[in-house]
Amino acid sequence: MTVAEKQPVPAAISVRNLDFYYGANHALKNISIDFPQGQVTGMIGPSGCGKSTLLRVLNRMYDLYPGQRATGEVIFDGCNILGPKVNLNVLRARVGMVFQKPTPFPMSIYDNIAFGVRLHERLDRAAMDARVEDVLRRVALWPEVRDRLHDSASALSGGQQQRLCIARTIATRPEVVLLDEPTSALDPVSTARIEELLDELKTDFTIAIVTHNLQQAARCADQVAFFYMGEVVEVDSADRMFTAPREKRTQDYITGRFG
Amino acid sequence: MAGRDNVTQATTAPCASARWQGNGLSDMRRRMVDRVATGLCWAATVLVLLMLFSILFVLVRNGVGGLRWITFVHVTLPPGQGGGLANAIVGSLIQTGLAVLIGAPVGLLVGIYLAEFTATDNRFINMVRFISDLLLSAPSILVGLFIYMIVVVPTGHFSGLAGALALSMLVVPVVVRTTEDMLRLVPLSMREAAIALGAPRWRVILFVCLRAARDGVATGILLALARVSGETAPLLFTSLGNMNWSVSPAAPMASLPVTIYQYAGAAYEDWTALAWTGALLITAGILMINITVRLGLGRNRK
Repeated sequence: MTVAEKQPVPAAISVRNLDFYYGANHALKNISIDFPQGQVTGMIGPSGCGKSTLLRVLNRMYDLYPGQRATGEVIFDGCNILGPKVNLNVLRARVGMVFQKPTPFPMSIYDNIAFGVRLHERLDRAAMDARVEDVLRRVALWPEVRDRLHDSASALSGGQQQRLCIARTIATRPEVVLLDEPTSALDPVSTARIEELLDELKTDFTIAIVTHNLQQAARCADQVAFFYMGEVVEVDSADRMFTAPREKRTQDYITGRFG
Repeated sequence: MAGRDNVTQATTAPCASARWQGNGLSDMRRRMVDRVATGLCWAATVLVLLMLFSILFVLVRNGVGGLRWITFVHVTLPPGQGGGLANAIVGSLIQTGLAVLIGAPVGLLVGIYLAEFTATDNRFINMVRFISDLLLSAPSILVGLFIYMIVVVPTGHFSGLAGALALSMLVVPVVVRTTEDMLRLVPLSMREAAIALGAPRWRVILFVCLRAARDGVATGILLALARVSGETAPLLFTSLGNMNWSVSPAAPMASLPVTIYQYAGAAYEDWTALAWTGALLITAGILMINITVRLGLGRNRK
C-alpha cells in the first residue's frame, strides 16, 4: 500500500501489519492504516474486500466467533488491543459501533440509551435524564421523541431508529465510533441527516465508516481508504482519492469499472 | 429511443394468438385438483371442529348441573351424601402451581443454555436437546412411576409434593423448547449491538435477548401450565388423591384429574355427575389460560 501523506493529526487507532482469518480464509492481508483523531475515515471497496472485517477487529467483535483470529497490532491509547489482557467490555465502551441495520433493543427509547450508560457509569436519575436528552439532541432526535421517551423504540421509523442507535453508542462517551454502512438501509432523507450528523460528531469522536456509497465517502470523509481483496490499496484525503487516485485499481473502482 | 408516437402505434389485437391459449386439458385438470384439495381441507376442518364442539357440548350438558356453590366449598364425600370438589380443585391448583414454580425456572435456564451457549460444545448441547425432546414425548405414566421410585418409596408415603414434582417434569421440556425457540428468533444483530456497547454476556441474555423473547417465553410457560393441569397418570402413584381436605404438600393430595378418574368409573350417579363437572372445570381452566395467552400476550406484539 502507499503511505498516506503526513498527518498533522495524531492517530487515534493505528493498525500495523494486521492479518485476519475466518478459519482458513485469509480475509485481511498485512493491513496497516491510521485513523486520525477527530477525523472521519471512509472505507470503500467492493463487497467482501475486508472493510467490515477491519471494523470488527477494531472493537474485537470477531471474538464472539470461534475460528476467527487476528494477528498483528492494533494500537489504541498506547495498548495493543489484540493482546490477551484487554478488557473487552471496556474496549467496546471506548470504541463504539453502529451497525448496518438499526437494532433498537426491545425497550423504551429512554432505556435504549440508559442501557449502555448503566453498564459503565452510575448516574442518578437527573444525570441520566440529562445524558439521554443530550445525546438525543446531538442526533437531532430530541424534538421528535421528547414526548414519548418511554414508548417502545421499535415504533420509530428506520431513520429515527438508526439515529437512536447512534445516540445510544455515543451515550457511553466512546473515543472512536465505528459505523458499518449505517445508511444502506435508509431512505435518502434519513441518509442526509445522518451524514450531517457525522460532521458534527467528528469534533468529539474519531469516526470510521464503511460505505458502498462513494458520494457518501466523498461528502463525509476526511480520509478515504480503498480496500480490495483484503488489502488496503490506497489511503488518501477524500479530495485526492476521488480526483487523482494514485493506483490504477482505485481509479477503476471509483469510475465504476469493477466492483 | 422511446418516441411519443410509439404510444399511438400500440394496438389491441384479440387475445387469440397461440401464446394466449393455455394448454386446455392441464388447465382444467389444475382447476379440478384445486377444487378437490380445497374441499378436502374444508372437510377435515369441519370434522375437527365437530369433534371439538361435540366434546364441549357433552361436557357442558353433563357438567353444568354440578356447577353449584356446594361443589366449590365442600370436599368429596362418600356416594349418596352429596359433597363437592373443593379439595380436588384446591389440590389441583396447588400441585400445578408448584409444578410450574419448580419446572419453569429449570426449563428457562436449560432453554437459555441451549440457545445461547451453542459455541461451547455442540455435542453436549445436542444431547441435552435430544433428551429434553424425548421427555416431551415420554408417556406421562412413566414420569409418575419415576417419581414414585425416587420420592414416594424413600419417603414412605404419597404426597402432593411428589405429584407436583411429577408434573414439573412435564413442564420442563415444554418450557425448554419454547424458550430455546424464542431466543433463537432474537436476531444476531441485536445481540451484537448489545455486546458492542460493552455489555457482558449475562446482561445481553437477560436484558436484551430474554426481553425480546419475553412474550414467547411467557406463552410457553402458560402452555406448559395448561398441559399439566389435565394430567392424570403422573399423579396416580405420587399424590394419590385424598377424600379429605388437605393443603399440606407433605400429605396425599386430591386433584381434579384423579378425582375424575375415580368418579367417572364409579357406579354412583352423583359421583359420575361430579366427574363431569370436574372435567368441565378443567376444560374451562385450560380454555382460560389459552385465551390469556392470546389476548394478554398478543396485545404487546406489533
